[in-house]
Amino acid sequence: MRGNGTNMTKISAKNVNVFYGSKQALFDVSLDIMDKEVTALIGPSGCGKSTFLRCLNRMNDVIDICKVEGSIKMDELELNSRKLDVVRLRENVGMVFQKPNPFPKTIYENVSYGPTIHGMAQSKSELDQIVEMSLKKAALWEEVKDRLDEIGTGLSGGQQQRLCIARAISVSPEVILMDEPCSALDPIATAQIEELIDDLKKEHTIVIVTHSMSQAARVSQKTGFFHLGKLIEFGDTEKIFKNPDNQQTQDYITGRFG
Amino acid sequence: MNEAKRKLLNKRYRAEANFKLFGQIAIGLALLFLAVFMYKIFSKGYTAFQKTWIVTEVHYDKELMLIETDNPSLEDLENADYYDIAYKSMTRLDPSLPEEDDRQLIQMVAFTYEQEVKNHLLKNPSLLGKIVPIRLTASDDLDQVHKGNYPRDIPEEDRRVNDYQLKIYDMLNERGDILSKFNLSFFTNPDSREAELAGIASSFMGTVFSILVCLAFSFPIAVLAAIYLEEFAPKNKFTDFIEVNINNLAAVPSIVFGLLGLGVLLAVFNLPRSTPLVGGITLSLMTLPTIIIAARASLKAVPPSIREAALAMGASNMQTTMHHTVPLSMPGTLSGTIIGLAQALGETAPLILIGMVAFVNTIPGTPVDPAASLPVQIYIWSESAERGFVEKVSACIMVLLGFLILMNLAAQIIRHKFERKWN
Repeated sequence: MRGNGTNMTKISAKNVNVFYGSKQALFDVSLDIMDKEVTALIGPSGCGKSTFLRCLNRMNDVIDICKVEGSIKMDELELNSRKLDVVRLRENVGMVFQKPNPFPKTIYENVSYGPTIHGMAQSKSELDQIVEMSLKKAALWEEVKDRLDEIGTGLSGGQQQRLCIARAISVSPEVILMDEPCSALDPIATAQIEELIDDLKKEHTIVIVTHSMSQAARVSQKTGFFHLGKLIEFGDTEKIFKNPDNQQTQDYITGRFG
Repeated sequence: MNEAKRKLLNKRYRAEANFKLFGQIAIGLALLFLAVFMYKIFSKGYTAFQKTWIVTEVHYDKELMLIETDNPSLEDLENADYYDIAYKSMTRLDPSLPEEDDRQLIQMVAFTYEQEVKNHLLKNPSLLGKIVPIRLTASDDLDQVHKGNYPRDIPEEDRRVNDYQLKIYDMLNERGDILSKFNLSFFTNPDSREAELAGIASSFMGTVFSILVCLAFSFPIAVLAAIYLEEFAPKNKFTDFIEVNINNLAAVPSIVFGLLGLGVLLAVFNLPRSTPLVGGITLSLMTLPTIIIAARASLKAVPPSIREAALAMGASNMQTTMHHTVPLSMPGTLSGTIIGLAQALGETAPLILIGMVAFVNTIPGTPVDPAASLPVQIYIWSESAERGFVEKVSACIMVLLGFLILMNLAAQIIRHKFERKWN
């Protein structure tokens, strides 16, 4: 899939090391994520790809024993800094999780929550507009427009995940992180999400962690292969899947291990 | 299949069958105990909900009542003399009785009979000057005779109801002048030294006020403590220490809290003795750890994915907690609170220590009026020698159990209806 990127670096990670207590989870990871492109992170379970993803919106802060070293710059902003305001960061870097996790509230409340807490809408009609726009972008509007006051957890799995995407884009983040967003979905719902990702990259930079190599090949422009906490290879998706430099990458994508 | 294998298989089946059998025996025994307990209480107590009345006639004689005006106002009626007419309403049951033995008849009704005669007229002032039938509360001994709880065949000198009184009772009973009606006064009267008049109103209100005070003190403190410990406090040695001590607090015998209430609330802060205010605060010390533990458990049960979702949207820690975690944990917290209050409801020892065991013959209107409580009332009555109190004890237990069942039911309903199932 061809990218439409601006060829500008959005996020630049340099020598990132992550420790859970005394156990090191990431070793010297350095990679550049390009603006308005989809970057896929692949690798076997426990290889550190999700850990790296969670460095990008500081979700690792939730884990007491987690320590992050190195430098992660988004534009000119240092993300791995004590002084960083994580609330502002997360307004700019949205996240979609592995298991759909809508709030057990109405569909409307799910999408309007972010704009409300960040004071993005001056009036109810403005908020309505944001909710409608977000749901439309998440390709969910047609299915739920008549039942916005129903509980979000009552939707099907695929709809729930698109609701979570609508929630994430409601605050117009520059970057959207996706942590295996399709692993709990059936193939049809997965196809819908993948289509959506393709649309979203027009306005957002997307980093997606996935178990499915075919998915990485379908949706991404850049791919990084992680193994045992190390970034083994990073480059254009086409090159990684057709002609990787590294033998381990070759073995993994051809299904010889992982 | 060879022999050894078949043997092993049979053994495994037998073990399972035995295990099931033991379980069934255990449950059967538990149900048996419960049934015996319930039968004991109900068979003894149900008669307390019936009240015995003696029907006689009263002559509202203006002269005997010392009313001089022709058109007496309510105030005049209020101040009139009822002693003679009330007395006569009883003695007229047996005009042949010599005057010096009148007391035998008077003893057949409750000592409040004069008041009852008066209230009857005050309710219907038009009865003045007329002879009308009236029902008077039977004495507790007669009440017990009528309910069949009092043996009639023991020697007269050992009996509190003598042969003459039994004769009058039988005569009245044959005429249909002994009535058995629902005992409303058991619910509306305060405690009394006379079993036929004693009711649970004062102890019931005392219990209600104590529980409300307990709720008002323990719920906010416990919920805030739980939220802080679960969502904000750093996990270190100090918070571990606090956690251990909260669990210890939950296991402290209640009488110790009673001593604390006595030593601190009464002695240091000089709060009014014997009141639901002090009782409620003392009970809240017991309820506090129960609610904290329940609230923390239900906060823990909120899946981390909800917290992550809110945090990833840029919600602050406080917003995540207040917008998402706490509302989701509320059903569990509330049902835990009700369970804690239900425990407090049955507490006796701490209340006895802070003086809620006093004889209270007024109905408390506020938490700072002296009051008893239902379990203490049971304790007080069970110490009374009179036969009439035996059924009252059982009846009071029934009311307390009813109260408990209602509360536990409420907790169950809240849990089932509002608690979210996470999959």
